[in-house]
Amino acid sequence: MTALFRGELLKLRTTRTALGYAAAAVILTLAFTIITITSGDLHSLADKRSALAVGSGVSAILLLFGVVGSAAEYRHHTLAPALLVAPGRSRLLVARMLAYGGAGLLIGALMLIVGLGVGIPLLSGEAGPSLRGDDYVHLIGGGLLDSGLCAMLGVAIGALVANQVAAVIGVIVWLFIVEPLAAPLLHRASAYTISQTATSLGGGTDGELLAWGAAFAVLAVWTAVFVVGAGVVDARRDV
Amino acid sequence: MSLTAPATTTATIEAVGLTKRFGPIAAVDDLSFRVREGAVTGFLGPNGAGKTTTLRMVLGLARPTAGSSTIRGVPFAQLSDPARTVGANLESCGAHPGRSARNHLRSITTLGGLPPSRVEEVLALVELTSAADRRVGGYSMGMRQRLGLATALLGDPAVLVLDEPANGLDPQGIRWLRDFLRGAAADGRTVLVSSHVLAEVEQTVDDVVVIHRGRLVKEGPVASLTTGRGVRVRTPQVVELIAALERDGAEVDRHADGLLTVRRRTAAQVGDAAWRAGIPVHELADDTATLEEVFFALTDDTAAADTTEPVVA
Repeated sequence: MTALFRGELLKLRTTRTALGYAAAAVILTLAFTIITITSGDLHSLADKRSALAVGSGVSAILLLFGVVGSAAEYRHHTLAPALLVAPGRSRLLVARMLAYGGAGLLIGALMLIVGLGVGIPLLSGEAGPSLRGDDYVHLIGGGLLDSGLCAMLGVAIGALVANQVAAVIGVIVWLFIVEPLAAPLLHRASAYTISQTATSLGGGTDGELLAWGAAFAVLAVWTAVFVVGAGVVDARRDV
Repeated sequence: MSLTAPATTTATIEAVGLTKRFGPIAAVDDLSFRVREGAVTGFLGPNGAGKTTTLRMVLGLARPTAGSSTIRGVPFAQLSDPARTVGANLESCGAHPGRSARNHLRSITTLGGLPPSRVEEVLALVELTSAADRRVGGYSMGMRQRLGLATALLGDPAVLVLDEPANGLDPQGIRWLRDFLRGAAADGRTVLVSSHVLAEVEQTVDDVVVIHRGRLVKEGPVASLTTGRGVRVRTPQVVELIAALERDGAEVDRHADGLLTVRRRTAAQVGDAAWRAGIPVHELADDTATLEEVFFALTDDTAAADTTEPVVA
């Protein structure tokens, strides 16, 4: 498994995809943080924490990062030579998820450094209570877990769908159309959707929320469901 | 540089009743064949005959609807060390267009647990070292073929499976490939190489497996397919030679310009008969078909439609 993980990590490092997504995530975080803090009065703890959190929009970028990287294996036929030297498809998928999870953590760390580095000084001028130590633990710990898990979930979705364009469009439609439209109908259960668990885990405060431990568990279950689905489909798929 | 000899020469590929259906269409239909160890075997058939699908099934990349295949006696997925046993290059070189050739090979080497030194060795072998840091997206078709071949060679495998490796190669590249394949067989490797361009493989392969519409139509050594049409003999005394040969038990067909085709006799026997009868001979040779002629005869749609059972040599 170590060799597979190292091989997938090497593949990840040797195209511009990860760099592009990292840049997009950091720029979006920077823009989101500055716009949120400078455009409104953030007096409550919830508002301030939300302004610094890894939002669901940024989580979506990491999800797409995993989707694009994973589905590219089928689009560019790069899976075949890998399977010829390492025929275990499930092991290869798990190794790829771990590699993207690690990359997601790294991108999440960059986002947090930028977001907190810019946001904390800007928030210092706002009235109301200041963020406490446990708020920062949630923002940082939850943000990192959110980033890593979203990238892994993306890999699983990409492996399940295989068609890169369909997978990307499907994820965007699901996160930004289906889940928001379904939220009023789901009431409290909307806290368990993918975007809302990502928001809860990252420290966001909008919509129905879960405690960040529960959010981590739910997002992990979402990931596990897609991994199992991808494993079953991939085992029967012709490459 | 040269290839090192594999540790063992027991490698063979065997397919038994391989079938692949896509809905009502049988891309491969009850296909059985065997690839001899240490030989270069041409896997021939027209476009769409099912060659690539068959190779994918043999390599565990596609699931057969029925039947099975083995490499050195076990299914590909059960090989204990696949990277060092089988090297394969399918239609695409399998490299991400945004990745350099060197990094592509490094990643496959790492995934397969192979020595990193193999990357530079195979790059040199396929003469891609100078372009190794360029992105594969900018490669020509011929360069991609060489990269695919380099990928297949990373594990220094005893078995090579190559799908249309000459596609996109220039004449020098085709000659290089021919020499390479012969060298691989001389080193004791088993090579299965698919092609639909017979001129590329005729001088290279020892055996052929010919398929058409997913079914086996011929299997065996090239020599057994291209010989056996008879003996060509040309003489100014046609009538006398026919009489002499028929007295000797031969069957003779007469053509224009004093040309005869003699069956059931070797060239030596025909020459001896002519000499005994005192008849001059201006041409005497075995009448061999080209592989191309055999191929077209085997894969002609009318002939193929008449073949209800596969013909195995």
